Amino acid sequence: MSYDIAIIGGGIMGCATALRLAEGGMHPIVLDQGDLGQGASGVNAGTLSLQIKRVQLMPYALRGHDLWAQMGDAVGFHKSGGYTLAFNAREAELLTERQTLKAEAGAPIEFVSNAQLRRAAPNLTQNVVAASYCAEDGYANSSLTGQYYRGRLQDAGIAYRTHSPVTAIDKTTAFELATPQGTVRAKRLLLAAGAWLKPVAAMLGVDLPVQARVNTVSVTERMPPLMSSVIGHATGLLTMKQKANGTVLIGGGWQGRGTPQDGRGTVASDTLRPNLALAQYAVPSLGSARVLRSWTGFEANVPDFYPLAGALPHVAGAYVLGCVRGGYTIGPYISRLMGDFILGQEPELPLFDPGRAYTKEPT
Amino acid sequence: MIRLVPNHASKIKRRDKVGFTFDGLRLEGRRGESLAAALLQAGHLNLRTAPFGDAPARGAFCHMGICQECAVRIEGRTVEACRTELTDGLVVERVS
Repeated sequence: MSYDIAIIGGGIMGCATALRLAEGGMHPIVLDQGDLGQGASGVNAGTLSLQIKRVQLMPYALRGHDLWAQMGDAVGFHKSGGYTLAFNAREAELLTERQTLKAEAGAPIEFVSNAQLRRAAPNLTQNVVAASYCAEDGYANSSLTGQYYRGRLQDAGIAYRTHSPVTAIDKTTAFELATPQGTVRAKRLLLAAGAWLKPVAAMLGVDLPVQARVNTVSVTERMPPLMSSVIGHATGLLTMKQKANGTVLIGGGWQGRGTPQDGRGTVASDTLRPNLALAQYAVPSLGSARVLRSWTGFEANVPDFYPLAGALPHVAGAYVLGCVRGGYTIGPYISRLMGDFILGQEPELPLFDPGRAYTKEPT
Repeated sequence: MIRLVPNHASKIKRRDKVGFTFDGLRLEGRRGESLAAALLQAGHLNLRTAPFGDAPARGAFCHMGICQECAVRIEGRTVEACRTELTDGLVVERVS
């Protein structure tokens, strides 16, 4: 049989777009080289923070938060509020500048006094020079992404194939995708392969300037209650939250090693140590916590760090969605926009033309 | 599959009894077995207190290095009893 659209990549983007397209009456099929939600969608630190989103993406992030809240317990959603901390004058300046812009862009971010901070988060270091707070911030459990979307796809009657890497794409009147389980035919094609977008687009002769960051996440043993909100740092080099079971999840985008093509990345001790040191500086009681596991995930981006969301250049009927920068938070929402666009409807907010010039600009 | 606890069944000397202490109590086990197994056989199922919550008594659950419910202190370090090989004269204390 022939599908209306084949979607390569079964992460948040691929699955959520499939759901929107099915709502619009299309018959999609989702193909993943591994299992659903096992890439960045399933191994990130789960932070849902408006304080670490790019100013220009704030309208998307705000709507993304609403969708995570609706998904609720099934994805481990918690609206805990979040503090971002500065430990010296330079960081305080950075914090004030960045969070003011984000507040102007619509995020409910406020600056809090030291006294307020100590009442709300007594286990934080006393060396905080400035802090901001956002009541909308929180987290979800990224390891539930795969099972959540599997259930949603099944409920919607959407076809999906796992362990089904696409090895060649032939474009005649339709797309013919070669997979180990046979050829899949579809009228349209959406590339939503995250850090693997570049080799997938190359099969269509399109060079997407996609690079992958190798973000590190660690989890500690169960600890007594130390923090009830998400904790971040003015530089963005720390995100931290304590889960209901007492474990503390520590991220911040410190770089491990490896490439998507080589499979899983590896943790690097020279970046893990400063990551953990910063966490311990923020919450000194973490000094006695043992780290049980550290791992990495690949976060795709393009040179201007804006999303790829729109028609794939030079290939009629092909689309691309990825590199969102905050894709976990924004993914469910931008996928709706993408779905509307493919359905021929005007998206509620603008998409991001993958055929643009990618001129670098300061963040 | 992940195997955090090596299979060293052949290393366990069932006839070779060794002594160790748990919070000062003198106990006996078999050389080469896991500390968690020796404590279990000596009747000590309650190995630590929960870090928080209303179910304070905790004991070895997974026996494979994941659950952290058998964490004990040895020579100033917190270690999992299930991943610690029993040796003669081991001094074991509860995590405080």
